[in-house]
Amino acid sequence: MKKEYKSDKLHALLWGVFSVGGFIAAFLLPVLIYIDNIAYPLGLWPVANSSLIKIVFMVSLFSTIFVFITIGGSLFHGIFRFKTTLPELGLKRASSLISAVGYIIIAAGLIALAYYLFQLYHGFDPSLFHRII
Amino acid sequence: MIRELTSFFISIYAIIYIYQLSLLASGDFSSYDLFVRNPATIGFSIIALFFTLYHAVTWFSLMGRIQVVKLGPKKTATPLQAIAINLLLLLIVSYAIVYLFILR
Repeated sequence: MKKEYKSDKLHALLWGVFSVGGFIAAFLLPVLIYIDNIAYPLGLWPVANSSLIKIVFMVSLFSTIFVFITIGGSLFHGIFRFKTTLPELGLKRASSLISAVGYIIIAAGLIALAYYLFQLYHGFDPSLFHRII
Repeated sequence: MIRELTSFFISIYAIIYIYQLSLLASGDFSSYDLFVRNPATIGFSIIALFFTLYHAVTWFSLMGRIQVVKLGPKKTATPLQAIAINLLLLLIVSYAIVYLFILR
């Protein structure tokens, strides 16, 4: 009974994080995609004359946290929804395997994201950025 | 089904973004630049942006159905109101991010 309660609690928690990830992907991800991968390579507003440091959001601890929340939340939401959809498309027999692979991708992605952001935030040399602009 | 498909593009974009960060963290800025300026990356990003916005609209519509807001004697009966208000909020949030991190 206690074990079942614990499993239900974890289930509710994961769906809660999924829901928060949905909000993050809806409100924060569009502007990140636009700035980093559309406006910057095409030289569009608002990054046409900005430094690359600003474009990749490596300005402060606040912006680093913003990138972590946006990409981490979106990754969780996307993979979680995808892993829930695949069994409904006829892959019901492999649902536990799909779940396991999904959680591994989420965990590996979040660890890699935190690692690279930490590395960039601490060992950042702005002069290297200016050389290629 | 398209709503479920949006999750695929959101996930792939997040993974690509982590890869971009790995290029930056390794100090290879020219590789980063080459990768983001690649037409395939730009093309995928435009498709990912379209699906992310589609996700946003369906998410806002869902919010309108789940959380009905009471405004005096009236209730927000249609998800259209929720979509409109949240799209406006999305624009405000996006501009606030641009202002805070780029324009300021």
